[in-house]
Amino acid sequence: MRAVRRIGRMDEAVLEGVRVLEVGGGFAAAFAARWLSGFGADVVRADPPEESLSADEQVYLLAGKRRVSADQVQLRELALAADIVIEDQKPGTLAKWGMAPLDLRAEKPELVVVSVTPFGQNGPYATYEADNIVAFAMGGLMSLTGHPAREPLMNGGSQAYCLGALNAFGAAVTALYGAMVQGEGDWIDISLQEAAAGMMELYGPGTAYNALGAHLRSGNHVRAAWAIYPCADGYAGVCALERQIPGLFAAVGDPELQDDRFRDPLQRALNDDELQAKLYAWFGERTKDEILALSPKFKVPFGAVLTPADLLENPSLIERGYFDEVRLPDGQVAMVPGRPFLGYPWEPPSELHRPHADTSAVAADWLGLTV
Amino acid sequence: MKQLPLAGIRVLDLTMMWAGPYATRVLAEMGAEVLKIESPGAWDNIRTLIPLEGVEEPWNASYYFNDYNRDKKSVTLDLAQARGRELFLGLVAQSDVVIENYRASVMDTLGLDYETLRATREDIIVISMAGFGKFGAERDHVGFGPIIEQMSGLASLTGYGDDGIPYKTGISYGDPVAGKAAVAAVSMGLIRRRKTGLGVHVDLAQRETMSTLIGEAFVAASLRGEIVPQHGNRDLRFAPQGVYRCKGVEQWLAVSVRTDGEWQALAGVIGGSELSGLTLKERRARHDELDTAIAAWAARQEPQAAMEMLQAAGVPSGRVLDSEKIHDDPHLASRGYWVELPHPRMHAWKQPSTTWRFFEANPQLRRHAPLFGEHTREILSSLLSVSDAEMDVLQELAVIGDAPLNPGIG
Repeated sequence: MRAVRRIGRMDEAVLEGVRVLEVGGGFAAAFAARWLSGFGADVVRADPPEESLSADEQVYLLAGKRRVSADQVQLRELALAADIVIEDQKPGTLAKWGMAPLDLRAEKPELVVVSVTPFGQNGPYATYEADNIVAFAMGGLMSLTGHPAREPLMNGGSQAYCLGALNAFGAAVTALYGAMVQGEGDWIDISLQEAAAGMMELYGPGTAYNALGAHLRSGNHVRAAWAIYPCADGYAGVCALERQIPGLFAAVGDPELQDDRFRDPLQRALNDDELQAKLYAWFGERTKDEILALSPKFKVPFGAVLTPADLLENPSLIERGYFDEVRLPDGQVAMVPGRPFLGYPWEPPSELHRPHADTSAVAADWLGLTV
Repeated sequence: MKQLPLAGIRVLDLTMMWAGPYATRVLAEMGAEVLKIESPGAWDNIRTLIPLEGVEEPWNASYYFNDYNRDKKSVTLDLAQARGRELFLGLVAQSDVVIENYRASVMDTLGLDYETLRATREDIIVISMAGFGKFGAERDHVGFGPIIEQMSGLASLTGYGDDGIPYKTGISYGDPVAGKAAVAAVSMGLIRRRKTGLGVHVDLAQRETMSTLIGEAFVAASLRGEIVPQHGNRDLRFAPQGVYRCKGVEQWLAVSVRTDGEWQALAGVIGGSELSGLTLKERRARHDELDTAIAAWAARQEPQAAMEMLQAAGVPSGRVLDSEKIHDDPHLASRGYWVELPHPRMHAWKQPSTTWRFFEANPQLRRHAPLFGEHTREILSSLLSVSDAEMDVLQELAVIGDAPLNPGIG
């Protein structure tokens, strides 16, 4: 067994002492920095001249951060005082402001800069105008979403931005580890389009490999045993692999399902409409709770379409201490999703600061300036 | 950064399907040595998820399996047999990370719970990624990605808005989301180990990671008791916004107008100058009418030309790239995003490169996914000094193997 060093405190947050500067103020940069803040980093957000986040997004994404107003000179100084810079400006903007990532890195080699933009730092679309729906469309996932007889559909929320944030967060902590080991950071170019383009399930590689043309959206029914159905009190779903089909049929209990035309995978594909009709009827007679209760019993992946309001009262999430409270400047308290995973100390981002509220405090802490 | 950030890190990968293998693929892209461990009798079903008729050894010839497992080494070990577990723990002693995405109870049942792993290597970083977590009332629920998006709230927010029907995403979205979060969990474990010498057991509930992606809807629900409505392709702030059919088969263009200036530009391009003075409020009120005008223009356009024309006018727009067109996109081509790697059993095809483009460390795809058990003997011999003679015995007992014992459709 290797000798174990004990230097830091056990309960110390993983990113304690790590300084993060968030430049830009878009959804993706703000979300990536939120996670870093929850895991203990000192996150300073340079508020943009014009706020692009909705009021609810501000509550969720900006809580726990110190907020400053900074001109270009101060912004550069703050970046050089940081360990990680996360930014989502249009490519070239930082250079225009006199703080090109490569220049910052030359001046401070251990600095990690993460840029998260719709199409990345180079290439013909690098400076294209895009927001969430445009990035989502260009990433390929939209072509797979929605009813086949209607137009392709965007996912709820701002999923193109969220994927950018998730990648920026992961890349930032991975680079931070690399910087701790090697003494040198890096500049990381995250494109929202690329973040999605590599996750088109089997349809992406299948189309590339077989060259049989595009695979298009199939609504709520990939096939009968991989679908969302109306149920007695809303919507519920199932996603059974071959090994789970016997469990599904046992849960449904219809003796006809023991026939070869449903049991045999190749025949089942030919009788998918009939199976779908049976499952429509079965789901329609049951509530979400009744269906979910069958999942552990039959080891079948059943689901129910739950709303955020449902989830705020979900016993499992409450038992696992999932939700955080955020206090607004007016005293109201919002409940929001907490840590993305358990295992590390999490410091709930609990206070939403007003714009620019921390300008002089950060100048003192990070730059040693007193006003 | 001269080297990849995870150079020198060894990962024991017990994961299957998408979420876990996606995580470990990214760890491999970042420089880690990933040992993918499967049992000859219980292996990653994604190898044969797509039936390949008339293909020899289909478990070694799946483009889909390859997509999530390139740059890894394949080691077979039956963890249900005592010798298999013993060898596994021997590997744990020489590894930094163990990652698994079984149902919550499986590792405990195998006798490979965190305490056992920790007794073998005190600072081991263990990542568990069950759908609903290692503890809690729903720990025994079975959760694949399509279930996770229903149970996380996301499906309730996705829909056209005019029929009340919630929609699934087009993919098993919970999987890659959990996978990318798991990579972050590993890197945080490495940072913490370096600072404190401590290991960790991470309990990543895929449903919980997913719900973080709709946090603002929880704000609306908790502050105002508000259910965020399904709003199709429209935006709650901007207008107009939508997806419009172009020339060709199923070719669509997404357009979004954030400002009055962008609206004036769009109105000019589509030949609707008389509408260019509309305010945001008016555009929202007349959204259906504006959609009709944009759709009439789009129907006469080739999608690529339409996108370029609107972008030249400063209007946010992009093609709804499908699984074919995305592989031909000139922008992705110019960034070298699609890469062809040789594979001993398959012809070449365009595979996605890494999303984490470190300018200096410069991660690159290195090798196709391993064949079944391809590295078993190499790893057991080099790390655990297992002799060739014992290897033959292990193979006879099916502790190791070079082909699945029970091939079939996954």
